[in-house]
Amino acid sequence: MAEHFPQPVQQQLYSLNLGPQHPSTHGVLRVLLTLDGEYILKADPIIGYGHRGHEKMGENRTYLQFMPNSSRMDYLSGLLYNHGFCLAVEKLAGIDPPERAKYIRVICAELNRISSHLLWFGTFLMDLGAFTPFLYCFDDRENILDILDRVSGSRLTYSYCRFGGVARDVDEVFIDQTRAFIKRLRSRWPDYHNLVTKNIIFIHRVRDVGIIDKDLARRFGVTGPNLRAAGVPFDMRKVEPYEVYDRFDFEIPTGTKGDALDRYRVRLEEMEQSCRIIEQALDQLPGGAYRQERVRLKLTPPRGDVYFAFESARGQTAYYLVSDGSPYPYRVHVRVPSFGNLHCLTEVLRETLVADTIAILGSIDIVVPEIDR
Amino acid sequence: MGYWKDIVLGGWSLIEGMKVTGRALFKPVVTVQYPRKRLEMSPAYRGHIEFKIFPETGTHGCIACGTCQRVCPSNVIKVQGVKAHARSGKIATHYVIDFTRCSLCGLCVESCPTQTLKFSTEFELAGDSRWDGVVDLVLRMEESRS
Ligand code: SF4
Ligand code: SF4
Repeated sequence: MAEHFPQPVQQQLYSLNLGPQHPSTHGVLRVLLTLDGEYILKADPIIGYGHRGHEKMGENRTYLQFMPNSSRMDYLSGLLYNHGFCLAVEKLAGIDPPERAKYIRVICAELNRISSHLLWFGTFLMDLGAFTPFLYCFDDRENILDILDRVSGSRLTYSYCRFGGVARDVDEVFIDQTRAFIKRLRSRWPDYHNLVTKNIIFIHRVRDVGIIDKDLARRFGVTGPNLRAAGVPFDMRKVEPYEVYDRFDFEIPTGTKGDALDRYRVRLEEMEQSCRIIEQALDQLPGGAYRQERVRLKLTPPRGDVYFAFESARGQTAYYLVSDGSPYPYRVHVRVPSFGNLHCLTEVLRETLVADTIAILGSIDIVVPEIDR
Repeated sequence: MGYWKDIVLGGWSLIEGMKVTGRALFKPVVTVQYPRKRLEMSPAYRGHIEFKIFPETGTHGCIACGTCQRVCPSNVIKVQGVKAHARSGKIATHYVIDFTRCSLCGLCVESCPTQTLKFSTEFELAGDSRWDGVVDLVLRMEESRS
């Protein structure tokens, strides 16, 4: 892109700090840009402003006590993290939750994934200067929050899964509400497409911008929708199905080029696939217990370690737990997807314009507190 | 050719978008005029914890066992109890919770053996100092009854 513009006669480089606390950096991220006029010659993402020490906290509380922390690591998809942590501990301790619990968890997790993607959709477009879609998304997202609020009692930090089940059972109202929501979301797609996907300004701002191709993605460990936009159909739900994901029929949407427009398309399509999963899960929802009773408060898993990877809204997330046989984990480590996704920025931002930085950063969908966990 | 086509198609895409926005004008508003109108709270809402009052005894059933104190990840519960006489069980005399540091996880409510804890659905909490968040549930219950 740089050759389209006349090169300056005399190179005058200067540095610009984008963030921390810039509304479009979605948290406390600072990107140190070295600029030549409007071009970026070098971009260094600098993180660590919001370090909260969740992994260290895991070492001095029991497995159950760490549960609320897990949904605070990523505040947009708290339930998915919660779910993943539960599965990791269950794998470590050899607990098998009842069928109904598995289905409830999958439904709630997918609802949470949609809500996370909807929030991304809104904020991404707001970064690009469109305010209306943001309000529409929040209207839709509100429905999901209401549904999850009804079952889990909280709107953001769900802390809903428990070892061997979930905290509360779902009822008919939940099922009706969820079905109604899916119907409503489907009726909104034409609006979104007319408003955004076909919008000429939007297309011109995101097409061929910020290309993350397969090679780059592999080098930086990019996962999730960003990787799938590059054309790699890699999704933990398909490659290593956990819970009951192998019983559902859904597709992995992929892009071709890996530019911001592809990432946008992949996420929209993914919401639709999540809707399909929820529908099938609701149809198959078995009766019975929603929680295994015999799980002790102070769970003592046998000695050993476990690495459990799952698909959060932003990509492959994993918990690595080491147990020494006591009620407290010896080590807790979390692999967060945003870290890899963010760090390819150094490559992607080279020779682009400052305005594109915002578009690229928004399309990557990072949550900085998740990196600074 | 491409230039003019772009302008026409681009203009049309803007009109399509305006149509969506225009339709929203005639839809009912989704926001709630908060202090005048209220939404119904979810039955599962996790506010601060509170004692359930059992109708049989007319009081709480806390036996000051300390399970909630031990399970709380934020360490915000302090419970004290006395024995009425040597052979009886304990009854809580003080149950202090620092709500400002509670992480609203629900573990105390779930772990209570006598099921005497519940979440209140109070959400309009405000205070002048951080001490306003420290409440003694036993005192609070007695005040609410008298
Ligand atoms: S809800 Fe959780 S953090 Fe709050 S008092 Fe109960 S156990 Fe402690
Ligand atoms: S509230 Fe329940 S768990 Fe806590 S001390 Fe009283 S009886 Fe024990």
